[in-house]
Amino acid sequence: MWLIVGLELLTFSLVFVMLAAFRHGAPALFHAQRAALSPAFGLALTVLLVTSGLFAALAVEAVRARRVARARGFLVATLVAGGLFVVLKLHDAVALIRGGHHLGVDDFWDAYLLATGFHFVHVVVGLGLLAWVVRVVARAPVETVAAVALFWHLCDVAWFFLFPLFFAGA
Amino acid sequence: MRLLTWFGLMALAGLAVSSGRLDVALLCGGLKAALVGSEFMELRHAHRLHLAVFVLWVVGLTSVLLVVSR
Repeated sequence: MWLIVGLELLTFSLVFVMLAAFRHGAPALFHAQRAALSPAFGLALTVLLVTSGLFAALAVEAVRARRVARARGFLVATLVAGGLFVVLKLHDAVALIRGGHHLGVDDFWDAYLLATGFHFVHVVVGLGLLAWVVRVVARAPVETVAAVALFWHLCDVAWFFLFPLFFAGA
Repeated sequence: MRLLTWFGLMALAGLAVSSGRLDVALLCGGLKAALVGSEFMELRHAHRLHLAVFVLWVVGLTSVLLVVSR
């Protein structure tokens, strides 16, 4: 799993550097368009991801202590917080697209929708893995639960850089 | 320790938003990534090489983003 996470982090890094270069190269466009974004909304998304990350870490700890019911509870809590992130993000995307901020409008919205969409796909995959591990946690080895949690933390870490590039100063 | 990390992450997220500055928000992002890597991803207890590579990645990426976005 570390190899996958490493490759994913490198891919995300390329996206972040391109975004930073774009932000630097088109400051007027960036400044004008990001006014449609809410930092408070971005903060709410961050809180959900970070809290779900805490639950995932606690789930691994519980599995290691052979406390299956507790581990399952934390995994479900991770799913709920992650699910809320997905619902909020979908709501945001629909509202933006209905407001005319869709792909092809300008470079800013192309960058925003593609970069956050790329991250969103990872969150959905992570939720799928978490849902699976909730079912098998009683018989799964610690390494399996830890690997799924590791993928989930990747979503956290990627968001920490994506968030400032779009929301800082909005 | 994990709960303490969560509080630290919350504080850094709040600072990133309230500052309204890209450089501060990026530094907070780097610190948050390091905290998650160390505590939630358990790199603090992993092989030193894993921890070193992750920290190098965080520092490198944060530095590049700060330079490129100036």
